[in-house]
Amino acid sequence: MVTLADPIPRRRRRKARSAQGADIIQKVAMALALLLVGAAIFAPLLTAYDPLQQSLLARLRPPVGFDRYSAGHFAGTDELGRDVLSRSLHGLRLTLALAFAGAVIGLVIGGLLGLVAGLRRGWAEDGIMALVDMQIAIPFTLVALLVLALMGSSLTVLVFVLGVAGWEQYARIVRGEVRRIAAQPYLEAARAAGAGPLYTAWRHVLPNLVSPLVVQFTLALSNIVILESTLSFLGLGVQPPQPSLGSMVGLGRDYMPTAPWIVLTPAALIVLLTFTVQILGDWLRDRADVRLNDR
Amino acid sequence: MIPYLLRLAVKAVVTLFAIVTVTFVATRLSGNPIDTFLGEGLTTEGREALIAYFDLDRSLWHQYLAYLRGVVSGEFGLSFVDRRPVTTVVAERLWPSGQLLLASVALTIAVSLPLGVLAAVHRRSWIGSAIMVVAFTGYAVPSFVLAIVMVLTFSYWLNWLPVVGNGTWQHFIMPTIAMAGVLIAALTRFTRNAMLDVLGQDFIRTARAKGLRETRVVLKHGLGNASITVISVIGLQIAGLAAAGSVVVESIFSWPGVGQMLVSAAILRDYPVLQFGVIAVAVAVVAINTLTDIAYALADPRIRLARA
Amino acid sequence: MFRLMLTTALSALPLIAAAQDITVGAANVTPYVDPGRDHSNVGSQFYYNSFDTLIDRDHTKLEPEWTPGLATSWELVEPTVMELKLREGVTFHNGDEMTADDVVFSLNRMFQATFPPYVVRAKDRFANFTGAEKVDTHTIRIHVEREEPLWETLISMQQAMIIPEAYTKALTGDPEVAEDSDFEAFSLAPVGTGPYKIASFQPGEKLVWERFDGFWGQPAPLERATVVQIAETASRITALKTGEADIVTNVAPDQLSLIDSDPTLKTEGSATALFHVMIMNQNHPKLQDPRIRQALSLAIDRDALNEALWLGKAVVPSTHTMAEMGALHQPDLETFDYDPERAKALLQEAGYDGFEITYDTAATYYTNGLLAAQAIMEMWAAVGVNGRVNVQDQWSGGDAEMMTRNWSNPMYFADPFGSFGVMWAPAGPSESEGRFNTDAEYAEKWDRFRFSSDVEARKAAYAELMEEIRQDPPVLPLYRPFESWGMQNAVNWAPLPGHIPYVLDFRAGSISLADS
Repeated sequence: MVTLADPIPRRRRRKARSAQGADIIQKVAMALALLLVGAAIFAPLLTAYDPLQQSLLARLRPPVGFDRYSAGHFAGTDELGRDVLSRSLHGLRLTLALAFAGAVIGLVIGGLLGLVAGLRRGWAEDGIMALVDMQIAIPFTLVALLVLALMGSSLTVLVFVLGVAGWEQYARIVRGEVRRIAAQPYLEAARAAGAGPLYTAWRHVLPNLVSPLVVQFTLALSNIVILESTLSFLGLGVQPPQPSLGSMVGLGRDYMPTAPWIVLTPAALIVLLTFTVQILGDWLRDRADVRLNDR
Repeated sequence: MIPYLLRLAVKAVVTLFAIVTVTFVATRLSGNPIDTFLGEGLTTEGREALIAYFDLDRSLWHQYLAYLRGVVSGEFGLSFVDRRPVTTVVAERLWPSGQLLLASVALTIAVSLPLGVLAAVHRRSWIGSAIMVVAFTGYAVPSFVLAIVMVLTFSYWLNWLPVVGNGTWQHFIMPTIAMAGVLIAALTRFTRNAMLDVLGQDFIRTARAKGLRETRVVLKHGLGNASITVISVIGLQIAGLAAAGSVVVESIFSWPGVGQMLVSAAILRDYPVLQFGVIAVAVAVVAINTLTDIAYALADPRIRLARA
Repeated sequence: MFRLMLTTALSALPLIAAAQDITVGAANVTPYVDPGRDHSNVGSQFYYNSFDTLIDRDHTKLEPEWTPGLATSWELVEPTVMELKLREGVTFHNGDEMTADDVVFSLNRMFQATFPPYVVRAKDRFANFTGAEKVDTHTIRIHVEREEPLWETLISMQQAMIIPEAYTKALTGDPEVAEDSDFEAFSLAPVGTGPYKIASFQPGEKLVWERFDGFWGQPAPLERATVVQIAETASRITALKTGEADIVTNVAPDQLSLIDSDPTLKTEGSATALFHVMIMNQNHPKLQDPRIRQALSLAIDRDALNEALWLGKAVVPSTHTMAEMGALHQPDLETFDYDPERAKALLQEAGYDGFEITYDTAATYYTNGLLAAQAIMEMWAAVGVNGRVNVQDQWSGGDAEMMTRNWSNPMYFADPFGSFGVMWAPAGPSESEGRFNTDAEYAEKWDRFRFSSDVEARKAAYAELMEEIRQDPPVLPLYRPFESWGMQNAVNWAPLPGHIPYVLDFRAGSISLADS
C-alpha cells in the first residue's frame, strides 16, 4: 500500500485551504470515527448473538423489512445462519485491532531503523536506506499475498505482514527529523556538555517526532485496513469461522445476487472506516503542519 | 554520470539477486509441492518416483546452485504442473496484465489531471470540496468491492457488459475502472496539491501580471510545471498500487494475467512458475525505478553528485 | 450512451443459435490432457469427447451394459488372457490409422509404466495387469496375473483410453523411443480417436473441441465447443446470464434458484457418483483410540447437513456404497449413523479431555466444503468436542500432524473397488500416507473382496471390510454431493448416470441444441 508523497510544504497550503465546508466534513468524520471505534470496542455488548453461532435452519435470511426476515437478526443471516450484524461488528473489531497492531509494529520497526539511520552514518545508514528503497520499489501487496499463500495464513503471520507493510514511511520521517535536529546548534552544545546519543535522542529528538508520527500512524491505519481486507477477501487473511470485514465480503461474494446483505454490510463498514480515517489523517496533517515523505 | 550509472547498475543487480534468493528460500520452506498438486491418493512408490522426477530429492543447496546456473544461462525450468517452459507460461500472461495496467493508468491520467486542476482552481467553492470528497471516497472503496458491485449491477442485473476474459473492448470496461478507482482518487489529490503549490509561486503571479488569460496561466504555466512532479509519481507509486489491484481484479474477471497466475502458482506450489513470475515482475519494477532515477539525474545535476 | 454500449456488447457475445457452437464456463480447466495419468475431478470432464476405450458402456444406464468401443468383440482365451478384435478403419485426429501397435503401446505404457505419473495409476488400479501383446494388426491379447473378475470394468476406464504410438514417440527426442518427455509433450498436444479433436488448449484456461470428421462412429453433434475457466462462482453464473456461456459447471445448491428463476435458463443436476468424506488419522497420537474417532463420526448429523446445505438433494449413505455398483450395491448394510448420545459416552470412556481437534479443508475445492466444515464443528461442539476448522489449500492427507480433514472418494469405475477400493486398499494411498493401518486379516478380507469370482462372496467380504472400518474408523462418507450445471434453455444436456463424475459428454445422443 502506498501513500502518495505530498509535494508541497504545508505552511503555504494551509493558507490555501479554506476553512469553510471542510470543517463540517471533519466533524462528521470525527463523530463517525468515535461511533465506529465505540461499536468495535463494545461489539459484544451491542449484539444479542454470538458471531459464530450457526442456525442451519435459518440460513440466508434477509434484513428487517423484507420477506422471510428472521426476528432479531436486523441485518439478516449469512450462509450458515449466523447473525450478519454481529459478525460485522466483530469483524470491525478484529479489522481495527489488526490495523492498530500492524501500525504499531510498523512504527516500532520503522522508528528504530530510522533512528539508527539518523544517528549513525556509514554502512548502517546505507543499508537501512537501501532497504527503504527496496520496500518502496516492490509492490508490497503482492509480496504479502505470496508470503501468506506460501506460509499459510495465521493471525501471527498476518499481523507481522501488516506491520511490515508501512515501516519505511516511519523510517524516513524519523531519519529526516533526526538529521535535521542533529544539525541544530543547541545539540552541538548538548553534546559538548557530555550528553550521550541515547539521551540526546530521548530529550531532543523524540518531542519533535510526535506530531509527524501521529499523522503517519493515522494515515497508515487506513492503508492497513484496505490491505487486510484485500488479503482476507482473497482468503489469505483472517481465517473462517472468525469474521473480519474483508473475509465476510470474500466468503459472501458467491451470494451477492441472492443475499447481497451478507456482503453489503461489511463492505459499507470498510468504506466508512477507511473514509473516516483518511479524512482525519488529512486533517491532522494540516493541523500539525508537518512535512511528510520528504526524502 | 558514469560512476552514478554504475552504482545504479550494481544496486539493480544486487536487488534482483536478493529477490531470486529470497523467493527460492521462501518457496522451499513452505511445503512439498508433490503433496499439493498431485496430492490425493499417491502410493509410497509413486510419491518417491515423482519426487525424484522433479529433482526434489537433491539437497537444497544443490537445487539452489542448479537454479542459479539456470538463471544465468536463461534456463528457468518447466512448470511442475503442466511441464511447459515457465518463460512461455509467464510471457503469455504478461501482455494481458500490461494491457490492463496501461488502460487503467491512461484512464487515471485522463480523469485525475482535469479533476485535480479543477479542484485546485475552485478550491474555495463547492466544486473543489465536492471533488475532494469524491476523491476521499474513491480512496476508501477497495477494488474488490468496486468490482463485485459493478459485476452485479452492469452484468447480472442490467446485462450490459461481459464479465469473463479479455476478448473485446467491452471486456476492458469494468476491470479498468475497478483497478483505476483507487488510482484516480490518489492522483486527483496529488495533482490538486501540486497545482496549489505551483499556483502560489512567483512566476505565476508574473504571468498573470503580464495580462495572460487565466485559463492559459493555469494550463500552460501551472499544469505544465506541476505535471513534472505528477508524471514522476505515476511511474513509481501508481504502478505499485496497480500491481496490488491486479490480483483481485484479474481473479474476479477471469483475466488471464500475471497477478492471478502468481497467486495460484503459490497455492499450487508450482515453484518454477512462481520463481520466474516474481523475477519477471521484479525486473519490470527495478527497470522502471532505475529509469526514473536516471531521468531525475538528467533533470537535476545535484542528484548525480549526491549519494545514489 | 448506455444503449449504444448495450447493443455493441451484445453483438459481440456468442449467440447460441449461430451454428452448432457452444461455450462452457467451467470452475476449473485441466492443466494437462492425458487420460492415462489423470484421475482428478477436474480432468475427468475432458476425456470422453476426444478419446475412446476398447470396451465402452451404455452411459444412459445406471448399471453396466458393455458395448463395443475400439474393440468389436472380446473373449477370454484363458482364465488370465483376454483376446480382443479391434475395429477396422479407425483414425486418430492426426490422420494416423489405429492398429494393434497403438493399442498395445497405450496399454503397456500403463501396465508396465516407467513414467512416474503413470506408475502411480498402474499401482492403484492396474496392479493385476501384466501386459498387452499384438496378435495381428487387428487383434491383441491382455494378460493378467490372477483371474480377474472385473475385466470389462477395468478396460473401459479412462486410464485405458487409446493414444497413437508413432505420434507420441515422435514428439520429442528419438522418434523410435517413448521418453518421459514424450508423454509430457503429449499432455499439451493430445490426440485421440474420439468424435471431437482438441483444436486448441491453453492449460488451466481454455480448451477447444472441434468436430472430427474422420470419427468412426456417429458424427459429433456440435461443430465446436469451447471450455473456458471461470473460477468465481458469481462470475460463472453472471456469464450464463449475459449469454457469454451456454453451460456453466459446478453450480452450488444455493445458487440454483438464481438460474431456475430466469425463464431463459435451466439447471440439470444429479447426486454425483462420488462421496465427500471426512478422513481421520488413525496414527495421530491423540486419535489412536478408535472410540474417539467413532465419536467424531457419530456426532455428525449428515441428514441435517444435507437438508441445510444441499436442500435435501444430496444422498447420505448408510455405508460406502453406490447404486452404480449394480450387484455389489449394498444399501442394507449400515455402518455409519448419527448418535450424539453414544458419541458423548464414547468420548467419556476414551477419557477425552477437551483437546483441540483440527479439521482441514481447502477454501473452495469441494462444493460447500467450507460450509460443511464449519457446520460439523458446531455438531462436534454439541457433544463436547473442541474442533477447529483449518483452511489450507495444500493437501494435508500425508501429513503426520493431520487429525481430520475433508476429501472425496470418487467412483473411478463402477465397482466398490473403484471407489472405496482405490483409496483404502492394503498398501494403497491412505496406508501409504500413514493415516490408515491394515493388518493380515484386513488384507485377507480385501483379497477375497477383490478377486472372488462369485458376487455373493465379494459382497460378504466387502461387508466384513466395512465392519473393520466401522470398528476403527479412518473415514466417514458424508454424502454424495448434488452437483448441478446451469444452461440456456436451448441446450439439451444432462449428466448421464453411466459416467464417472463430472464428464462433459457431448457425443451424439448426449447433447443437442434447439433452434431458436
